[in-house]
Amino acid sequence: MAVAVFFVAAAVAILGGVGVVSFHQPIRSVLSLVLVMLALSVIFLLLSAQFVFAVQIIVYAGAVMVLFLFVIALLGPARELGRGRLRYQGWTSAVFVLVLLGLMWTMLQGVQYRQPDKTDLNFFGTVQSIAVGLFTTYLYPFELTSILLLVAAIGAIYLSRKRIDES
Amino acid sequence: MSTLSIGGSELDASWFLLLSAILFGLGAIGVLVRRNPLVILISIELMLNAANLTLVAFARQLENIEGQLFALMSMTVAAAEAVVGLAILVDIFRVRDAEDIDDLSELRG
Repeated sequence: MAVAVFFVAAAVAILGGVGVVSFHQPIRSVLSLVLVMLALSVIFLLLSAQFVFAVQIIVYAGAVMVLFLFVIALLGPARELGRGRLRYQGWTSAVFVLVLLGLMWTMLQGVQYRQPDKTDLNFFGTVQSIAVGLFTTYLYPFELTSILLLVAAIGAIYLSRKRIDES
Repeated sequence: MSTLSIGGSELDASWFLLLSAILFGLGAIGVLVRRNPLVILISIELMLNAANLTLVAFARQLENIEGQLFALMSMTVAAAEAVVGLAILVDIFRVRDAEDIDDLSELRG
């Protein structure tokens, strides 16, 4: 059962990824990316990451994608017209990505999997286990995230301010 | 190879890594081929999601929660990146049309 769920979700994710790259209207790319994220959230559930699953749906598929949709609606439907000015761009990037995938494939062949730590899988990935990690061992990175978000918010406000002095 | 027992059935851990590699490659193709800056940002999000899948898969394989914590951190970074990137894009679009990212080649000094 879990195997079937994985392969269906993986097929949906790959289809969505192809859609992200190949649709000509940005709004369709965004909706394909939402599809990829929902499929990936199913896979996170298979990997017993309940909290990451919830965050993926609420923050990623919810907030970040709505932000993208707002910006696309604001800027209007821009279509890619004509050909780019770089020649052989498609072929070069196809070769590059094939080399990248080949490297990853050869690395996957030689992966030495460590023995698992044998933690309690009923507890693994729950909100409690995440919170124990975040508020004890990784307290400083967690607090630094707040500074990161503050900097991002200030930067976004600064970039989108109304310019009074110019024009 | 290491098999994970999920819901009573066995699934090889490298399937997750393979899916992640494919999604990452698709995102890389999007960044390299597409010329609309919005679509390039969307492809970067796709690559970040693929990396998150690797982190969560290894967290499950090692039965160690740290991979999931790192995935949450990278989601935060991705959200911040999307906010700042979109703000820059809106700022550029305010001045001029930037439907082709190759048009923005005079960024100097």
